[in-house]
Amino acid sequence: MVPAPPDDREPDFLEEDVVETPLEQLTRHWMNERHAPDILPAQEALLAALLDHLRRQSDAVQLLRGDPSTSEEEHIRIMLVQTEIERVKFIVRSYVRTRLFKIERYARFITINADIQTRLTAAERDHASRHVPRSTKNLLHAKLTDQHFYLEILQSLPEKQSHLDDTPMFVPPMVTEPDTSRPVFVHALKQCPTVRLPDGATLDMKKGHVSLMPYAIVEQLVARGEVELI
Amino acid sequence: MSDARQYGELGTQLVMESRRSTQTDTLIKYNDSLVLSIIREQRDLEKAIDAIAVEGRGPPPALLIIQTAINRNKRCLLAYHSHRLDRLRDMYWAVGGALPHILSNQDIRSKLSPHEVDYLRQYNSFVMEFRSEFSHELDITASITNPPKDLYVLVRVIRDCGKIETEMGTIDFQKGQRFMVRRADIEHLIVQGYLEEA
Repeated sequence: MVPAPPDDREPDFLEEDVVETPLEQLTRHWMNERHAPDILPAQEALLAALLDHLRRQSDAVQLLRGDPSTSEEEHIRIMLVQTEIERVKFIVRSYVRTRLFKIERYARFITINADIQTRLTAAERDHASRHVPRSTKNLLHAKLTDQHFYLEILQSLPEKQSHLDDTPMFVPPMVTEPDTSRPVFVHALKQCPTVRLPDGATLDMKKGHVSLMPYAIVEQLVARGEVELI
Repeated sequence: MSDARQYGELGTQLVMESRRSTQTDTLIKYNDSLVLSIIREQRDLEKAIDAIAVEGRGPPPALLIIQTAINRNKRCLLAYHSHRLDRLRDMYWAVGGALPHILSNQDIRSKLSPHEVDYLRQYNSFVMEFRSEFSHELDITASITNPPKDLYVLVRVIRDCGKIETEMGTIDFQKGQRFMVRRADIEHLIVQGYLEEA
């Protein structure tokens, strides 16, 4: 875990600048992922550590519950731990599923964009490539979604029309891309470097500042953990 | 009304179906005949292009119009099918990935095309493969609508669902009965509509 760097002496009356626990980190990544139009870098190490922890906790709980010498008071504590485990699992699940949803949606874009591929786990990359083939030329070997389009429509069309990568004029591209101009609510976690807004104005966000702006502007700040999306 | 149709009129009808489906939040029956008619229109348009092309000389304006109609129709077809796939996937996740639950429902089944049934089956196998990455710790297909507040939940049985393994041993859920059970054990039954939180 990386300790948060000291903030710049902003008056902070409610909370001390404490180190984020793994769960707090996950919660932040979960919220960011849910609000960001793009797919954010996968948090494999964090997720693996948390899942590992969950498993050890579950094992310990099983052991204690089976132990006849466990007192009544301890049983109540065990129940609290179990409830907490379920709640953490909920966040993990929601986080994983949010990513999965975006991956399916942008599957075609992912297979042609090397940058976005680096942000996925191996399993996620596999899942994306099952939906569309790496090469869109050979439709016979097309994967799930393309295969469906092929079977339902493309194979019945004249040969000239049976491709999925046309680029006709005056028509939006056929590949769905994340819309990074979508507005998001941004909450500054610390003093942020100056950002330039689309209208040319600049904005200095102090710690605690909340603002609405296009995602593309704060993309870097989100990646560095200086702001969170809310 | 005359029989004469504008280029792309059928495509518009098809896209309207998608829009209606979104607005009413229902899956509408797969419109086989309309899809076929558009495919037929596409073939005719392609023939029209070929006929123009053989005449030799520079491309006449008609070519541009026909080509635009072709592009538009194709886009409408793809949009319609893509929209349906999105709905099918939503439906799949809404029941926690219980594919048999969807496919055994005659009402839903009658609205799907055969290829869509295949699609769902294959999609299911991909999701199961992805899920196995996490299978030791958690089930990613479980509900993500409401965070769990309690470990245990009081449920009422709406439809018989037979004997289910739970933490407290096997329970035979029969219609009308009430049970206090661990949420994680029976969550999928609530999602699929067998149990209801009392």
